[in-house]
Amino acid sequence: MSTIFPPPLAGEGRGGGLSLPADIAETPVSQPISLRRLLRTYPRVAVASALLLLLILVTLLAPWIALHDPIATDPSNALLGPSGAHPLGTDELGRDLFARVIWGSRVSLPIAFVAVAVGLVVGGTIGLAAGYRGGATDLLLMRVIDAILAFPALILAIAIVAVLGPGLRNAMIAIGIVQLPVYARLMRAQVLTLKGLDFVAAVRVLGASPARLIVYHFLPNLLNPLIVQISLSAAAAMLAEATLSFLGLGAQPPTADWGFMMNTGARFLNNDPWLALGPGLAISIAVFAFNWLGDALRDALDPRLRG
Amino acid sequence: MKRLALGMVATFFLAACAGGGGGTTNSAGTPKAGGTLKIALESELRTLDPLKSSQRVERQVYYNMYDSLVTIDASLKIKPGLATAWQYSDSTTLQFTLRQGVKFHDGTDFNGDAVKFNIDRILNAASSPRKSELASVKSVEVKDASTVIFHLKKPDAALLAQLVDRAGMILSPAAIAKGGADFGLNPLGAGTGPFAFVEWKRDDHLTLKKNPSYWVSGRPYLDELIYRPITDSSSALEALRTGDIDVAGTNAIADKDVASVKSDSSLIYKDAAGLSFGGFEVNNASGVFSDKAKRQAVALALDRAQILKNVFFDIHVLSNGPIPPTSWAYDSSERLYAKPDVAKAKSMASGFSFGMKTPNTPGSIQEATLIKDQLSKADITVNIQVEEFGQVLNDAEAHKFDAALVGWSGRIDPDGNMFGWFHTGGGFNDGQYSNSQVDTLLEQARTETDQSKRKSLYDQAQQMVVQDAAYIFIEHGPTQEITSAKVHNFPLIADAIDRFAEVWKG
Amino acid sequence: MLAYLVRRLALMVPVAFLVSVAVFSLIHLTPVDPAELILGEEHSPQAVTALRHELGLDRPLPEQYLTWIGRALRGDLGRSVRTNQPVVQAIAERLPATLELGIAALTWSVLLAIPLGTIAALRRGSPIDVLATGFTVAGVSVPNFFIGILLILVLSVDLRIFPPGGYAPLTESIPDNLHRLVLPAITLGTVTTAINTRFTRSSMLDVLRQDYIRTARAKGASWREVIFDHALKNALIPVVTVVGIQVGAILEGALVTETIFSWPGVGKLAIDSIFGRDYPIIQGIVLAIAFSYMFANLAVDLAYAWLNPRISYA
Repeated sequence: MSTIFPPPLAGEGRGGGLSLPADIAETPVSQPISLRRLLRTYPRVAVASALLLLLILVTLLAPWIALHDPIATDPSNALLGPSGAHPLGTDELGRDLFARVIWGSRVSLPIAFVAVAVGLVVGGTIGLAAGYRGGATDLLLMRVIDAILAFPALILAIAIVAVLGPGLRNAMIAIGIVQLPVYARLMRAQVLTLKGLDFVAAVRVLGASPARLIVYHFLPNLLNPLIVQISLSAAAAMLAEATLSFLGLGAQPPTADWGFMMNTGARFLNNDPWLALGPGLAISIAVFAFNWLGDALRDALDPRLRG
Repeated sequence: MKRLALGMVATFFLAACAGGGGGTTNSAGTPKAGGTLKIALESELRTLDPLKSSQRVERQVYYNMYDSLVTIDASLKIKPGLATAWQYSDSTTLQFTLRQGVKFHDGTDFNGDAVKFNIDRILNAASSPRKSELASVKSVEVKDASTVIFHLKKPDAALLAQLVDRAGMILSPAAIAKGGADFGLNPLGAGTGPFAFVEWKRDDHLTLKKNPSYWVSGRPYLDELIYRPITDSSSALEALRTGDIDVAGTNAIADKDVASVKSDSSLIYKDAAGLSFGGFEVNNASGVFSDKAKRQAVALALDRAQILKNVFFDIHVLSNGPIPPTSWAYDSSERLYAKPDVAKAKSMASGFSFGMKTPNTPGSIQEATLIKDQLSKADITVNIQVEEFGQVLNDAEAHKFDAALVGWSGRIDPDGNMFGWFHTGGGFNDGQYSNSQVDTLLEQARTETDQSKRKSLYDQAQQMVVQDAAYIFIEHGPTQEITSAKVHNFPLIADAIDRFAEVWKG
Repeated sequence: MLAYLVRRLALMVPVAFLVSVAVFSLIHLTPVDPAELILGEEHSPQAVTALRHELGLDRPLPEQYLTWIGRALRGDLGRSVRTNQPVVQAIAERLPATLELGIAALTWSVLLAIPLGTIAALRRGSPIDVLATGFTVAGVSVPNFFIGILLILVLSVDLRIFPPGGYAPLTESIPDNLHRLVLPAITLGTVTTAINTRFTRSSMLDVLRQDYIRTARAKGASWREVIFDHALKNALIPVVTVVGIQVGAILEGALVTETIFSWPGVGKLAIDSIFGRDYPIIQGIVLAIAFSYMFANLAVDLAYAWLNPRISYA
C-alpha cells in the first residue's frame, strides 16, 4: 500500500496540511533533471528501470514467449512437475503453468496502471480544487480525503469489493479509491506552494498568463515527486490486486491472474508446490521492480539531497 | 517407501476385515468403553433445532443427539427407532407403536404427547423446511401413551423415509419450552439419543456427552463427542494426521488427498456409494435451455469420465440419472449420455453460449472450467459466473440462470431424489422442468405401496427425465470413512451421516 | 501543543462522521436486500417484508443511520446474520488471538529491525548494508501470503517442524499455542521488519552525521558508547512516526495471515463474514478498525509533536 512508503512531504501531518512549514514556501522552483544525467549519476535508477523495462517487454511479448496456450486444458496431464515440455509443470487442469504465469502479467500490470490512473486523475482533481479554491472547499475536501485515510488501505479496498461484489473491475475501482488521497495531497501541496511564492504574484501583476505559469513552474515542480509516487503506487496497486484476487475477491476464473493462481496453488501445496511458487515469484519480482525504481528515483530526485 | 508398503498392507488387511458396500469397518476386537472422539465438521452449524435446520452438516450432530421415530440400516431398510412398530390401517392412516421406558435427557418421559407436540410444531410453524417434508400429514392423534396415529391427506409412500430424518426427530417439549427463543443455540436436555448436549462454543467446539440411560443398553461406548468446524480440507487432513481430530466427515478431505490418506497406516479410508447426485441445473423454462435440443447437445458433449478423473480423482462415480446405485430404484440399463459424442452433439445444436452460476468453492470452479473447455470443442461457449454459494441458490430459486452448478445431497427414498426436483412446481425444481407424464408417474410412485411397482414407475420417470435432459447429471458422490486407525465399528451408511452409538476407540 | 490537540480533535469530528456514514452505507449498497440475506433460503415475500419492518429497514435512511449510530455508541453493533451472536461479542471473542499474533509479529520485527538497521547504518555501503537495504524493499514487495505459503511449504509440508495452521488457546496449552504461533508471526511481521529496518537505518544515518556524535568520537568514546549512550535514543525518535503505519500494516496483514493459517482472530472473521455476506459483522469490524486506526494515528502525531518541538503547528 502506498502508506508504507509515504512520499516526502515534510511537515505534512496526518490530519493537518493547514499550513506549510516555512522552508518549503521559500524553496525556489526546481528544474527537472535530465534523463541522461540521472541514469549516469544514479546507477540504481538505471538498473531498476532496466528491470521494469524487461517486465513490460515480457508483458507485451507474452504471446510469443509463452509457447503454450494458457487456457488450454489437458486434464489427463494435470499436476505434472517441471519438465522439458513444461518449464514450470502443469496445473490442476493440465494447463501449462509457465504460459499462465507469463500471461498473468497482462492482467496484473494493466490493472495496476488503471488503478493508479484513477487515483491520480480523481485524487489530483480533488487536490487541485482544494488547493486552488481554498477556504471551505479545501476544508471539506480534505476531510473527505482524511476519511479515506482513516482506513488501512487493504481493509477499505476489501470493504468496497465486499459491497460491490467480486471482480477485476470492482477491484480496480476499490484500489483507485484507496490511492487517491496521496495524489490529492500531492497536487494540493504543489498548488499551495505555487500560490505562496512571491514572484508568482509579481509575475501575475506583470500580466503573464496562467498557462505559462503552469507549464514553466507548476508542472516541473510537480513532475519529480509525481514520478516517484506513480512508481510506488503501481507497486502498491499490484500488491493490492494480488491480495484481493488471492482472497477470491478480485480476478474470477478462468482468468490467468497471479493472485488467483496462488489461491489455487495454496490448496495444492501437498501435491505440486509449483502452482504457488510460479505466480508468487512473478508477483514478487514485478512489485519489487516498481518499488525499487520508485525508491531509487526518490533518492535521486530528492531536492534536499542535491546541491 | 517402506512406510507406503506397510500402509498398503494395513489397508488391505482392514479392507479384508471389513464388509463390502455398507457395514462397519475395523470391527475386530472387543469394544472398549470410554474415550473422547474428536470430529471435524465441514462448516459451522446454524442451529441445533431440527425445526429450523436447512444444512446438511447439522444432521451430523442431530443424529447423535436426537432419535427419530424410525431409522435405517446399512441397506437403507427402515428399522424401528423411537417407534417399535407401525402399520397402515388404511392408505391414509398410519399407526405407530412407541418404545416404552425412554426418557429425554432432561428426565421427562418420551410418549405420545411428545410425538404430537413435535409434529404439530412442524405443521403449525410459520415457515420451516420440514413442512414440505410432512406435506401429506393432516394431523397426529394420541391414542394412548404408547400409540400415535398419523392422519394423512393422501397416501405417501415416502413418509417413513422422511421420518428417519429431522421431520421425525422427537425432542422434549419441556426442554423446548425452557429453551425459549435461544433454544436452537442451547438445546439442553432435549434429545433421547446416545449423546446429550453439553455446550456449544460457536466456531470453536460443540460437546456432547454420553447418555448413561440410553435405551440401547451398553451403548454408547464413547464418553464424549467433540465437534469442531474445520472448513479447509488441508487443515482437516493435517488435524487428522496430528491426532487433533479422530474423524473427518464425508467430503471433509479433498479428493486429491485421498491417496495420501490411504497410504498412511495410522489412518483409515473407506468409501461406499452414497445417495447424492451432482451436475448442473438447466433452466428449462426460459433462455437458451428452453430448447430441448440444446440441453441434449450439452449432455452429449460432456466427457464425464474426464471430469470424474480430473476433478474427483475417480472417488465419485458416473451418474446417469437422479437415482444412485445404492438405491433399490436404481436403473442400470444403458443410458443416453454415458459416453461423449461431440459430433452428434454438434448436429443437434451448436454455436450458442450460456452462463453457468458457479459456487466459489475451488472444486466447483475447477469443474466449471473443465466443463467450459469440453463444451468449447462442440462450439458451445460457457460463461462462468462465480458467486457465493448462498447467492447461487438464491438465483436458482428465482429462476435467474441458464445453468447452475448445484447438486443434491440425496435422500433415502427415491421420491426424495425426484419429486421435489422434477415434478412441476417442485420445491427444488429451480429449472422449472415440466412434463405431465413424469408428474403422473411420480405422483403414482408416491402413493403406490408395492416396491416392485414403484420401481417400474421410477424407471419410466427417470428415462424421461434423462432423455429430456432436465438436469445434466455428472456424478454420484460417495459416503466416506476417514478416521484414525483407533476408531472401530464406524458405520458406513449411504446417507453419509456419522452415527457414533456403536463406535469405540482403542 | 494543547491548541494543536484541540484543533486535531475538532478536525476529526467531521472525519469520524464521514467514516461512520461510509460504514453504515455498506449494507445498503449491496445488490442484495439485507433482509433476504438474513432469511437465507426461506425468503418468501411476506417474510422479507416482515423482517424489513422488524429491522427498521423501511424507515428513511437518515433515521436508520441515527438509530444505528446511537446503538453503536452504546456498544450494540447488531447481530451476526449467520450465527445471531451479538457482533460486539463475536469480535471480542476473537480479539485475543489477533492481539497475540500482532504483538508477536511486532516484537520479533522490532528485535530484528533495530540491530539490523543500526548495523547497516554503521557499515554504510558494505555488503550488509546492501543486503539490508535490498531486504527493506523486498520485504514490502513480496506478498505476505506468499511468505506464508513458502513457510508452510518448507517448514510444514517438507520438514514437518511446524503445523500448517490451527490454534490452541493459551488457557489450554501454552506450548501448543506457541508452536502454532511461529509461522503466522513470521509471516505477519515481515513487512513491519522491512519498514522498521529502513527507518532505523535512515534515522541512524541522520543522527550519526550530527556534530555531537563527532564530538563524542573525537573525545575518544568508543563506537559502542556512542551508539548506546547517544545515537540510539535519538535515532529511535523518528521511528515513532512509523508506528502508525505499522499498526495499519499489521491490521491489513492479519486478514490474509489469519486466513492462511486458520488463526481464529478478527481478520479471519472478517474474511469469513465477507464470503458469508454477514454485513453486520463486516460493518462492526470495519468501524472498529477505522476508529482504532484513527486514534492510533492521532496518538502518533501527538507523540511526534511532543518529541520534536521544532515542527511548528502554528
